[in-house]
Amino acid sequence: MGNSITTAGYTFVVEESKEISGEDLGLLQEKLLQLNWGVQHPASGPMRLKVWVDGDEVVKVDPDIGYVLRLLEKLVEYRTWQNAIVNVERACFIDNFGTMTGYSIAAEKIAGVEVPKKADYVRTILCEGGRIVSHLIGLGSFVGVMGVHTPMQWALIAREKFLDAFEVYSGQRIATASIVPGGVRYEPTGKFIEKMVSAVDFLEKEFIPRYGEVFIDNPTLKVRSEGIGVVPKEKAVELGLAGPALRASGIPSDIRKDYPYAAYGELDFKVVTKEEGDCYARYLVIWEELIESAKIIRQAIEGFPEGEWRTKFPLKVPPGEAYVNVEWARGCFGFHLISDGGTGPYRLKMRAPSFANLWAMPELMKNIKLADVPVIFASLYMCHGDIDR
Amino acid sequence: MLEEIREKLKSQFGLESESYDTNMLLVKCDRNQLRDLMRFLKENGFNYPHTVSVVDYTPKGEGFQANYVLENLNSKKFVMVRVSIPEEDLTVPTVSDIFPPLQPHEREAWEMFGVEFIGNPRLEVMLLPEWAEGWFPLRKSYDFKKHRKPSKEKK
Repeated sequence: MGNSITTAGYTFVVEESKEISGEDLGLLQEKLLQLNWGVQHPASGPMRLKVWVDGDEVVKVDPDIGYVLRLLEKLVEYRTWQNAIVNVERACFIDNFGTMTGYSIAAEKIAGVEVPKKADYVRTILCEGGRIVSHLIGLGSFVGVMGVHTPMQWALIAREKFLDAFEVYSGQRIATASIVPGGVRYEPTGKFIEKMVSAVDFLEKEFIPRYGEVFIDNPTLKVRSEGIGVVPKEKAVELGLAGPALRASGIPSDIRKDYPYAAYGELDFKVVTKEEGDCYARYLVIWEELIESAKIIRQAIEGFPEGEWRTKFPLKVPPGEAYVNVEWARGCFGFHLISDGGTGPYRLKMRAPSFANLWAMPELMKNIKLADVPVIFASLYMCHGDIDR
Repeated sequence: MLEEIREKLKSQFGLESESYDTNMLLVKCDRNQLRDLMRFLKENGFNYPHTVSVVDYTPKGEGFQANYVLENLNSKKFVMVRVSIPEEDLTVPTVSDIFPPLQPHEREAWEMFGVEFIGNPRLEVMLLPEWAEGWFPLRKSYDFKKHRKPSKEKK
């Protein structure tokens, strides 16, 4: 575990009731111990995992979520089309650009608004920036749960350069509210492009070689993560895994490629897949996507078109609906947006990839050792903001 | 691919379908047909479920609507299955045994809208706190302001 049990925030509770989540486990019940993994634990945000253990073996895992529920889907109904983005982007603070892009595309589809080409390119650059930022944290926390905290610090240094670029662009580092229906909110200045290029430079020339040398193909890391939490191809579909976890099982599902939005159709990149389907494969998918994303940003900056970055978006949108998927950092994020002809959304349903991964997790955590729980948890690459919404 | 499915739906179920988007088909069906239709779609390659999206149309007098979004991972096409649920009888048969990943999505729809998915093994509160069970906050009739904490009066 890296940390001792007490410092990792475990508490021991002796289960009093005879049944576990409605399932009678019979005689086994007598010797089971329920551990509470959370509510606050070092791997991620506020969430509680109820872990039933028999000695060192995990018998059953049941997630208890809802600690960061903000009911964003309801809040959006009280907003106008433009300022609903402040709720949409808060689905997850780490990569907020993907969610804003998805919502904006859905709103534009209903309203029949065509976005200028330059806005598409800015969106692409920002989305990939968000993906890099998110993947950096994902990489860092994956090694972090095993007790090594250096990679997280390295990742945060690289992340800082991207946050600087976002700050130059929108004035905010995290909740940028920069992509709106009808384009993007601010002019992409030369200073922003300059900052973005220097951030990508740092990532490609400093972070990737240094990190790759130490923490990729690392024998200790491989011992802990290879062959753990294996999901074969068919099972990944059956469990409904999403995003990097699905691609690590050998399924090339990437909305950017399958159904291009923004400027992805014009750029050249590859979909990273792995065949093994274990924790290490999921880690490598995140790693290689990071390298791909840096290339996408470079291409988008090279082919940056001239022109307007925003068109007029009507105050009232005609009745209609749209279902839009975007490839968010953590997987395919779906938006079911409905308009009734008013000044704001009538209903917005957000399909979160982390939610899908979370409920596939109990199936992965059967008959494993207790020490593998955090490894599998971190490899599924979930964010609590978008589990609860 | 979608044309094929459209013809099969017409011949086997007698259902009309329309294109929803360039890569998505919209099928409207009845509640009793839902399970057969979902099984049929699963056999025809639409084996990756995305979500269940419930929409409350009660202010317009149209009851509720449940939308099931399924994807075919090989041909990258989507199907949206739409079921209307009258306000007086908020029940719909579960599809969680056909598509296990949809079980938590149905559970969420139940706690937010009060639509009962008959046969779902686990309809318990998940995101809401336990004391808020039965509030159904995503319904249009839910009064947001009533549950707001009283703010301090401005001086």
